Amino acid sequence: MNRTIKTFSVTAALLCVAAIGCTDPTVAPKSSVSSANVFNDPNAYRAFLAKIYGGLIVTGQRGPDGNPDIAGIDEGFGEYLRLYWYLQEMPTDEAVIGWNDPGLPDLNTGLWGADNSMVNAMYYRVFYQVMLVNEFLRQSTDAKLDSRGQFDPTLRTNVHFYRAEARFLRALSYWHGIDLFGNIPLVTEDDPLGATPPKQATRAEIYAYAVSELNDIIGQLPPKGPSTYGRATPEAAHMLLAKLYLNAAVYTGTANYAGAATEAQAVISAGYSLPANFRSNFTADNNSSPELILVAAQDGRSTQTWGGMTFLIHAGCGGSMSAATYGIDYCWGGYRMKQQTYRRFAAGDSRAAFFYTTGQTDSVSDRGDFTKGIAAPKFTNLKANGDTAQAKGMVDTDFPIFRLADAYLIYAEANIRGGGGSAANALTYLNAVRQRAYGGTSANFAALPPVDTILAERGRELLFEASRRSDLIRFGVFTGGTYVWAWKGGTPGGSALPTFRDLYPLPANELIANPNLQQNPGY
Amino acid sequence: MRLFHHLMCALLGLTWTAALAAQQPTGTIRGRITDNSTQQPIAGAVIAVGNRSTQTRDDGRFTIAGIAAGSDLLRVRMIGYVQINQPVMVTAGDTSVVDLALTAQAIGLSEVVVTGYGQQRAGNITGAVTAVGDSQFNTGRVISPQMLIQSKVAGVQVVDNNDPGGGLSIRIRGATSVNASSEPLYVVDGVPLGNGAGGGLSAGRDPLNYLNPNDIESITVLRDASAAAIYGSNAANGVVLITTKTGGTHQKPQFEYTSSASASSVTRLPSLMNAAQFAAALNQYAPARDTLLLGASTDWFGLIDRTAYGQEHNFAVTNSTNDMSYRLSLGYLNQDGIIQASSTKRVSLGLNYSQQLFNDRLNVHTSIRGSRAIDQFTPGDVLGNAAAMAPTQPVFDSSSSTGYWDWKTSNAAPSNPVASLTWARDHGTTWRSVGNVQAEYRAPFLEGLSANVNLGYDLARADRTTFYPNNLAAQVRQGQGLLYIANNSQTNQVLESYLGYSPARTYGPGRLDVVGGYSYAQSHAEYPWLRETGLTTNVLGDNGIPVATIVQNHRDIVDYKLISFFGRLNYNINDRYLAAFSVRRDGSSRFGPGNQWGTFPSAALAWRVSQESFMQGLGGLSDLKLRTSWAKTGNQAFQDYLQFPTYTFSDGQTQVQFGNVYTTTIRPSAVDPNIHWEKTTAYNVGADFGFSNQRYSGTIDWYTKNTSDLIFYVPIPAGTNLGNYVTTNIGSMRNRGLELSLNAEILRPSATGVRWTASVTAAHNRNELLTINPNRSVSKILTGGISGGVGNNVEVLQPGVPINSFFVYQQRYDASGKPIYDPVTLTNMYVDQPTLRDTVSCPAAPGCVGLYRPDGVINDSDRRPFHDPNPKWILGHTSYFNYKHFDLSLTLRAYLGNWVYNNVASSLGAYQNLTGSAMPANLHTSVLTTGFVVPQYYSDYFVEDASFFRMDNITIGYGGTYRGQQFRLFGTIQNAFTITGYSGVDPTSGLNGIDNNIYPRARTITTGLDIRF
Repeated sequence: MNRTIKTFSVTAALLCVAAIGCTDPTVAPKSSVSSANVFNDPNAYRAFLAKIYGGLIVTGQRGPDGNPDIAGIDEGFGEYLRLYWYLQEMPTDEAVIGWNDPGLPDLNTGLWGADNSMVNAMYYRVFYQVMLVNEFLRQSTDAKLDSRGQFDPTLRTNVHFYRAEARFLRALSYWHGIDLFGNIPLVTEDDPLGATPPKQATRAEIYAYAVSELNDIIGQLPPKGPSTYGRATPEAAHMLLAKLYLNAAVYTGTANYAGAATEAQAVISAGYSLPANFRSNFTADNNSSPELILVAAQDGRSTQTWGGMTFLIHAGCGGSMSAATYGIDYCWGGYRMKQQTYRRFAAGDSRAAFFYTTGQTDSVSDRGDFTKGIAAPKFTNLKANGDTAQAKGMVDTDFPIFRLADAYLIYAEANIRGGGGSAANALTYLNAVRQRAYGGTSANFAALPPVDTILAERGRELLFEASRRSDLIRFGVFTGGTYVWAWKGGTPGGSALPTFRDLYPLPANELIANPNLQQNPGY
Repeated sequence: MRLFHHLMCALLGLTWTAALAAQQPTGTIRGRITDNSTQQPIAGAVIAVGNRSTQTRDDGRFTIAGIAAGSDLLRVRMIGYVQINQPVMVTAGDTSVVDLALTAQAIGLSEVVVTGYGQQRAGNITGAVTAVGDSQFNTGRVISPQMLIQSKVAGVQVVDNNDPGGGLSIRIRGATSVNASSEPLYVVDGVPLGNGAGGGLSAGRDPLNYLNPNDIESITVLRDASAAAIYGSNAANGVVLITTKTGGTHQKPQFEYTSSASASSVTRLPSLMNAAQFAAALNQYAPARDTLLLGASTDWFGLIDRTAYGQEHNFAVTNSTNDMSYRLSLGYLNQDGIIQASSTKRVSLGLNYSQQLFNDRLNVHTSIRGSRAIDQFTPGDVLGNAAAMAPTQPVFDSSSSTGYWDWKTSNAAPSNPVASLTWARDHGTTWRSVGNVQAEYRAPFLEGLSANVNLGYDLARADRTTFYPNNLAAQVRQGQGLLYIANNSQTNQVLESYLGYSPARTYGPGRLDVVGGYSYAQSHAEYPWLRETGLTTNVLGDNGIPVATIVQNHRDIVDYKLISFFGRLNYNINDRYLAAFSVRRDGSSRFGPGNQWGTFPSAALAWRVSQESFMQGLGGLSDLKLRTSWAKTGNQAFQDYLQFPTYTFSDGQTQVQFGNVYTTTIRPSAVDPNIHWEKTTAYNVGADFGFSNQRYSGTIDWYTKNTSDLIFYVPIPAGTNLGNYVTTNIGSMRNRGLELSLNAEILRPSATGVRWTASVTAAHNRNELLTINPNRSVSKILTGGISGGVGNNVEVLQPGVPINSFFVYQQRYDASGKPIYDPVTLTNMYVDQPTLRDTVSCPAAPGCVGLYRPDGVINDSDRRPFHDPNPKWILGHTSYFNYKHFDLSLTLRAYLGNWVYNNVASSLGAYQNLTGSAMPANLHTSVLTTGFVVPQYYSDYFVEDASFFRMDNITIGYGGTYRGQQFRLFGTIQNAFTITGYSGVDPTSGLNGIDNNIYPRARTITTGLDIRF
């Protein structure tokens, strides 16, 4: 009996001790890295900045999909440039898409609501970039590098470049943000993570912030050259400033055409040139074009996405077109031109040479039918000489964010609008664009034309390059009834849109999540 | 935390100091208590003499020593039996023998029901607990254990999967969570499976398939939170306790062999156009493509389905002696699916061994079970292509490299499903073993004290290989072949030790039953996988790893720990007033510092009114018990490591060009470091009742479950975190419902020779998402992805409506009842909902709803929540008939108010499938009614009422003896017929109510033989 009691109590006591011994449930992750250790690797800074560049073109950490950055939307749709392209092109006179995917039909007509999933995703993409930049800036200060014992001078120099580039990318996204949405929150690296929802800033405040940021970093960006392909250079910053100044009247109510001309000239003087072959800016080897100032670089093997150029090349192909002609595996049958845009091109314009008309009608009588509307497969996954690229499903072609012809047109427009500079230069620049298009001087302007001609020229030169909506707004014709195009306002022939649609609505969910926000009027 | 150690140690101390009474002349009484009609021993009867008391052991025997000499009254009490008061004479130093037989009064109440960390008599249970024994199980071809109890328990929805052995879901009283799991916790012979809710790891079919249904003795469902709360953080979705068969009481080896063979056939297929209809449609909508048609008349579904055969053999040997018993079982199952290339094969082995030691004071029980399942899966594209492949095209093409005809196009097009069946491979192998050693020691120095140690393990290895050769048409267009290999493994260990104290003596007016213990569970899992596309050769098939253009390798290691302290106190006053309290404190590795520990208490009270003197003899009432309970339970069944801000590396396909090099990137994650438990607070009010000695009995329960701090993947304000969604504790949800079950022995054999017992269950549940964020409520989150288009979601999570409500436009219909189609606007066919707040003209103006009116524009804002997939009522009925050697059983099931989105109709019911850049795809016949040209994924036309009534099971058996050995012959029809208004393949389309080329449902006829010798 006694022995039993002893055995029993010893067992019980042992169990009690075991229980006290094993009361810590903490388990640290083994197969992933955390903020605590990742930056001990000096390569992490470049890797993080590369992610922010990649935020413009890939959708996550698995290619082409499978580990998305943002949620709430199909991963392929949620790609930054694809969304930006949708929002800048589809409601305009340029593109129409018949797909019935969520949010798309209303982008064709301009009748979107605050629940539109494409509009919402673009908003989140803008802030996703901003938040990554802010975190990068917090993690890459000199003090942080000191604390991690990272004193290698090459690394320190590079990190200084990286920080300037990150700030450029933040300014770029803020530009997109105010252009599309107007008044949005201003969040910087000084605002801690996970804090209360940010306050809304005015469009003008963010404009001023972006301008001051760009002016601050312009001397700190890495110089243009092979090692900075796909990266922000001082010229990219000048170009972004030119874009901001050109639209300053829209963003702030006060024009700054002089600024636009000055900044455009800074780009023009930097040594870029127009290749004779217009199309070589949009081919699988367009990385060798001397015209491109900033690109979102894609690669059929290493940089894969369902958005960006993969989308632009596949979706521009349909009807009786052959996928192989564009170096791809198959056509998605997506976008083509509205008749107003097709009719803008005159005979002899090489920028219309690649249009595909066989079996296509000029007028978009049916949005759902790819053969209604002329196809304009401007982008291709074949090289300029016709050679195939690395892959057919994923493409090698880079998206031109900024290119020289745009700088020429900005200079010309700013000059015509009274921004000063040289009228002769303005005419030269404008004619340079025309000359390339026509393969000679046949279509040159003798004198600077009225400013509306610039809108038409931009429509021809920058077709499908995600610039159209901003241009139409700057010229005051995006909304209202002075200029209507197919499906504007939801009617086949086009009808007026109220002016409040110059801005997209802030996402309906966002208004509830962040009580500081005030919806744009009209929504 | 520390308090618990102190409590435990205090409890131990208490037991040591329990003093022995002073000595005086005493005698001993021993004896045996039996049931006077069956002569079977009764275990657990309370025997009391004076102030001494004890309980009978499993063999019905008891011994009470130390009774003061003289005459006394021996009281024998057992719930469900008439109490006996027997005068006895005790002589000092002598032993009297008293054998007694008890008369049953309400026999069902004395049944032993397994509850968490113990067992109870059915009549004394305070919570909503349903035990289903093997005699009530569903029969026929049952591959997964959960199917045994489908339609048997009110409030338990077993969600079908038509794939052979396919993964099932169980919803007990509705879903409690959105992003965490809503599956119950499974505990098999005391070992919790997996690492939280659900069954654990498998290669793709149901993880519980490792457990041969033939080895299961009973399944107990702890439906209400008070019963489940002893499992704390894993209890919010209910707990399913599975007890396996043991050695029995035969005292000699007994052999049992069961064999059955089955044949299954397809019941319904999607309604697609035949070749003539298709050709006519093409001629009308794309006449230029007439030349594409090859004039064949192919029934693609006819080529991929089949009559599927199955066989099953189970062999078991049991034996028991006075101090030992065992059951060894061997099972073999081979079941083909009704779609070709799908099958499951299982070999299972099980051993239960019990040994009594040290004068029956130590009971060691071992259960070890292992199985290997080899599963073949129909390649993922077969069902969709069988629907979409044009019926006018031939099957074979001797000139193609596959031997099968396919569209020769680089554009997306349906491809030949038979080619895929022939050349693609998708199979998995799951090895799994679950076992434990449980030792129970009854302390000799204190009557009623026992110590338990339970050491358990759950090992699983699941391998899956998928191979698509590069010459299949779809692969030629995209991917150029696919090889995917995953070799997942999971090792779980659990140690539980607890003390139980349930003496026969009383404390105060009633008896105590106390349990307190500690549990330590850990899990280690590895998920390595390889994925290749762009295969250079098909020669190796699914066996090797060929050179490929894109190779992705990945390995995740996941560790998990759960540490718990738990305790329970039951107090029973004369089986009349019952109280139960439990508390569990859990620490989980899934939460960060400060949030790791949670406490989950419960309280339940019951009053057996029928025990009151004023109720005696009232209208044949044999039992009436009123119950009420409250409990707080938790849910932590979601991903590990969510509290850690991690950085994710990009793979080789998402590098970024950085100047002249491609750079692997790192991405920070958006986390909420303060993530914590999901809490469910539940109330239950119920009654158990029985008449005529439990010939008629029933249970009714009303409950409400409020889940708060929902672990929710929600949009967050832009500019606050490193992402637009974060997993955090936001929002609340409510499930409210009513459950009723009635059992009756309607006919007794004494009168007509026919015995008929019947049971009816009815359960109503209403789910409502209350808030997504209490302060700044996000209005809605879209969910419910469908096939067709890209990124289309047809369901919504929105406060005020059930989760996963469909989120669609309201279709307008013309005078003849046909849906209107407007090819120009593509929107004017829908109703403009009142979405614009207009305080000026509303509410007076026509069309206003409150202060909202239609805004004149039909866009995304005009979609509105419209019904949901969850059944509002689940009804079940089972009847058993016995006549002489024959038996017949029927199981009926009905769901009311479950809605299904017919995705096959919405994606194939549009003429654009003929004209797009893809080659023409077959059309769903709904297009003949709708005339849709552009697919209208968001039309509520495709959301259908899928209420149904189904004869789930008819079984006929004949039992007899041959040369003294028992045998039984039986035949079963499963899914005999279904009556439903739903137009698709199966109204039970999984949990989310989206019918997208789901595996069709089989009608299965099984015949078999069961012999014992």
